[in-house]
Amino acid sequence: MNSTQSPGAAVRIENLDKYYGSFHALRKINLSVERGERIVVCGPSGSGKSTMIRCINRLEQHNGGRITVLGTELNDDVGNIDGIRREVGMVFQHFNLFPHMTVLENCMLAPMIVRKQPRAEAEATARRYLEKVRIPEQAMKFPGQLSGGQQQRVAIARALCMQPQIMLFDEPTSALDPEMIAEVLDVMVTLASEGMTMICVTHEMGFARRVADRVIFMDGGEIVEEAPPEEFFTSSRNERTRQFLSQVLGH
Amino acid sequence: MSSLLRNQKVRNALLQLLYVGSIAALVLAGVAIARQNLAEQGITSGFDFLSKSTGWDVNFSLLPATANDPYWWFFLIGIINTLFLGSVGLMLATIVGTIVGLARTSSNELARLLGRTYVDIFRNIPLILQVFFWYAVITHLPTPRSAYEAWGMLLTSRGLYVPVPNVGGPAMTLAIFALIAAIALPVWLGRTSRLSQPIGERLAIQLAGAAAALAGAAIILAIGRLPDLPLVDFPALQGLNLKGGLRIPPEFSALAIAIAIYGGSYIAEIVRGGFKAVGKGQMEAALSLGLSPWRVFTLVRLPLALRAMLPILANQYVWLIKATTMGIAVGFTDFFMIVALTINHSGQTLEAIGILMAGFLTINLSLAAVFNRINKAIALKGNQLRG
Ligand SMILES: Nc1ncnc2c1ncn2[C@@H]1O[C@H](COP(=O)(O)OP(=O)(O)O)[C@@H](O)[C@H]1O
Ligand SMILES: [Mg+2]
Repeated sequence: MNSTQSPGAAVRIENLDKYYGSFHALRKINLSVERGERIVVCGPSGSGKSTMIRCINRLEQHNGGRITVLGTELNDDVGNIDGIRREVGMVFQHFNLFPHMTVLENCMLAPMIVRKQPRAEAEATARRYLEKVRIPEQAMKFPGQLSGGQQQRVAIARALCMQPQIMLFDEPTSALDPEMIAEVLDVMVTLASEGMTMICVTHEMGFARRVADRVIFMDGGEIVEEAPPEEFFTSSRNERTRQFLSQVLGH
Repeated sequence: MSSLLRNQKVRNALLQLLYVGSIAALVLAGVAIARQNLAEQGITSGFDFLSKSTGWDVNFSLLPATANDPYWWFFLIGIINTLFLGSVGLMLATIVGTIVGLARTSSNELARLLGRTYVDIFRNIPLILQVFFWYAVITHLPTPRSAYEAWGMLLTSRGLYVPVPNVGGPAMTLAIFALIAAIALPVWLGRTSRLSQPIGERLAIQLAGAAAALAGAAIILAIGRLPDLPLVDFPALQGLNLKGGLRIPPEFSALAIAIAIYGGSYIAEIVRGGFKAVGKGQMEAALSLGLSPWRVFTLVRLPLALRAMLPILANQYVWLIKATTMGIAVGFTDFFMIVALTINHSGQTLEAIGILMAGFLTINLSLAAVFNRINKAIALKGNQLRG
């Protein structure tokens, strides 16, 4: 997969600063994500995880530093923003499906309008990805008629239909009942095994252990620690990390 | 027996029966007393008066009218006047309300301030004062000789004179339907082909639909054209008076403007509420898929906002239709005024009021029924609480 793409990192964040009014939400963040790399971001609530990944597709505008995605710098150039959004898929905590469209329409909308795909092609792609997230039989239903886990899998399929090169996940399982978390994580594990570049904000430490190349720990708007999962879970010397881990791992 | 009375369903049914029965008895007693009183005054009750000629005239009618026409014809004229005023007023109020409502949700602070000021002012002045105000403004416009002129229309203190095509009544009606189709057809075509055609082709289909309907209207007008007259009848000054065209009297304009401005302030709040009800998440998801802000608006934000506002909008429309009865304050012969005149001239109070109530009930229940159908058709399916 990597061979067809232009060289360089998938995402490069340099000295990123973000303010909400006078509140300093991100402080000099530096992060580089290679193509095909799987990053898990964790940290206490309010530490800036969402803000950081939302800056990557410009749902939030950063105030300082540079963000380069697939070789394109994210700045005020609308063409750059559109181009980057086309290549970066995002999955939200609350699914955010379009409730007035069927599952199939949810998946076909952007490919037809943004990628100008003919209907037949868009539908074939949509059905293929619905198959992949294991809900092909729900294609004609509306989001409100599905369980939370099913909705989140549709949301993943919807993002994949744009055939993005990078996927961002913002706590994709946090709004789900426990019995539905596994079905969503399974899909994400499959995606990771196929070489997708992924940045996942999640507290599912089992998932992090299984698929992450690196775990990033954030606190107070900063990246406190960055390590491969084994090292992160077993031999972190950072006090804040250890405290956080003892909370999410429950001991 | 006593066990039957303790049954909840039986109890409810009995109570219901008692309630309906006592109301029916009250109404019947009222009618009987009124009949007796009227008979003593020498007024015969019944609907025979409908076929008698009125002996008075109306100041505005879309149908031909003379004092020799019967009451039923005048009632029809009244209903059409009310519907005409209602539809013009509602249309204008919707346009005003949409603009002001969007201003109120805008990210521009000045626009928000202007929108709020508008709503605060016009929602808090009674409608009848606004009607009088606009009536005073319009009747102080220049006389016909120094009329304001624009696009063949003349604006004077005697009313707004607009050009009309010299076309027979039936053809005119058909042509109006064709024009409505020219607007409705592209919308419908857009919906049915929503995801079956790429955007470019869809636009072509929509344009073709609109063009076909417009061509139909043109053909109908050409066929229904009155012989030996110019196609369009322009109003023009003749001596001291204006001849030709259709005269929209100041009464109508004052009412339409007042309803537009007053109704617009209420509709603005409904529009604002509708847009606020749309979750930010859906719009962010659309943006993250690479849709342009305009597409996010037309494909996600607007459709969801419409669903949130239509039920409330329907109530507002019903309410504004009832507000057309303000016509009597400035002397516009709407349905209510025709009924009032009928009561004065014929003394058939009960019958006339019965017709008035039946008329308004029919109009408003039909409006509500249409909106209910639309609401049902576009209602979001399933449980919306999750996500
Ligand atoms: N739109 C906003 N306006 C003001 N403050 C915000 C906004 N979004 C987030 N914040 C603040 O920024 C900080 C980081 O938020 P967020 O990135 O959502 O944290 P996390 O996702 O790690 O829980 C929090 O203190 C939050 O209150
Ligand atoms: Mg968050």
